[in-house]
Amino acid sequence: MIKVNNVSMKFNLGIEKNFSLKQFFINLFKSKKNKPKKEEFWALKDVSFEVKKGEVIGFIGSNGAGKSTMLKVIAGVMKPTKGSVEVYGNICPMIELGAGFDPDLTARENIYLNGAVLGYSKEFLESKFEEIVEFSELREFLDVPVRNFSSGMTARLAFSIATVVDPEILIVDEILSVGDIAFQQKSEEKMKSLIGGGTTVLFVSHSLEQIKKICNKVIWLEHGHIKKIGPSKEMCKEYYEEQVK
Amino acid sequence: MFLKNVTINLKKYSFLLQQLVSRDFKVKYKRSVLGIVWSLLYPILTMVVMAIVFSNVFKFSTPGVNYLAYLLSGLVMFNYFNEASNLAMSSVVGSFSLLNKIYIPKYIFPLSKCLFVGINFLLTLVPLYIVLFATGTGVNIYHLLLPYAFICLFMFTLGMGFILSAVSVFLRDMFYIYGIVVMMWTYLTPIMYDIKMINESLQPWLKLNPMYHYINFAREIILYGRIPQPFTWVTCIISAVFVLIVGVVVFKKTQDKFIYYV
Repeated sequence: MIKVNNVSMKFNLGIEKNFSLKQFFINLFKSKKNKPKKEEFWALKDVSFEVKKGEVIGFIGSNGAGKSTMLKVIAGVMKPTKGSVEVYGNICPMIELGAGFDPDLTARENIYLNGAVLGYSKEFLESKFEEIVEFSELREFLDVPVRNFSSGMTARLAFSIATVVDPEILIVDEILSVGDIAFQQKSEEKMKSLIGGGTTVLFVSHSLEQIKKICNKVIWLEHGHIKKIGPSKEMCKEYYEEQVK
Repeated sequence: MFLKNVTINLKKYSFLLQQLVSRDFKVKYKRSVLGIVWSLLYPILTMVVMAIVFSNVFKFSTPGVNYLAYLLSGLVMFNYFNEASNLAMSSVVGSFSLLNKIYIPKYIFPLSKCLFVGINFLLTLVPLYIVLFATGTGVNIYHLLLPYAFICLFMFTLGMGFILSAVSVFLRDMFYIYGIVVMMWTYLTPIMYDIKMINESLQPWLKLNPMYHYINFAREIILYGRIPQPFTWVTCIISAVFVLIVGVVVFKKTQDKFIYYV
């Protein structure tokens, strides 16, 4: 389903310096020797793994270990500096909810806009429109501009749009529950049913409890390398022990 | 192969494109009282201001044709270029929060801006035709040829939009530089004056400007009621296609690096 082959990802930390015209011209006249070497940062180094259909994979590792970068590379947001990623099936990235909401548009209009951004077709959205409205419990606010929504309401709407799909591959970055307590439970149920429905899931979380509950395999990343791959319970235990040590 | 990919892609993302264009429309007029009427009113008001300044203060005139019609026909087309290229330039940088999270073909942002302003442009043809009738300039059968100039203008603007949006990712100064460039461009394009008023030795230089040819093509038809010269036809299409190809190549070559400059 997903094949990650020797993926490396390089960032230039000094990139900011080239932003202004002044710096640009200064650099032009500087001789090559004097140019400070750009600081390079390898967010991922030679990472390879395979995910089979229906597997639920958890990614663990400390901040900056490359978890989110890995997901972005798989989602196609970033092209790897080296290596390649093969993905078979449509991806639903739930990396951040409500990306592409326009605050001046009403909830109704944003459902269509955000749906289009997520790659849904017009027919699909029209057939699922009721379901989205029903799940978000925001029917009476359908024609209110989203800028007047509370953050909880916005998150509920975004969650309802993002999870209405039946994707083949689901990418989740720490968004299991939103809204008030009642909606949190509801959204967690929804996530579980999505994940349990035979979908392939890539899941990043710092909550080992959730990882243990949901995932059947864990990839442990450290400084851009894969430290270990293994069954989730053992990996979580090992990881936890190392972290508290 | 490339064209085939583009058509498949466009089909897949046509709904998104449509949503982005309609979003721009809704947001543009939502909070104003007159709403879409502004699209009609704005060019007329600009024309009135410019007409007062240039025909009364500077005593510009265009012998044989009505100055208002002359002014507005140029203004409408140049305004399209100005607005669309500016919006397209900031479209990629403005969509970084999206591009950073979800895979969307990046060309869709400059394209949607050029289309959005394009629809707005068609609306501004209404005041143009009102002025044509009101000033007694009238219409003729050759008006059916005008879409040729509009399509060339669109391709040229889209190409510029691709170049500008890609360059501005790497060089944010472009937003300021381009503001000045467009101002110069406005005065170097014969919009409010006739090119014949310019020193003859300078005229060939002014004619290097593709915008001159698109506007000239339209004016030949609208004001003088004649089919444009073959030379004008050829210049229009060659400059438009050339700039569009350069734009596509520049954009395609650089788009994978955009994400590092978020």
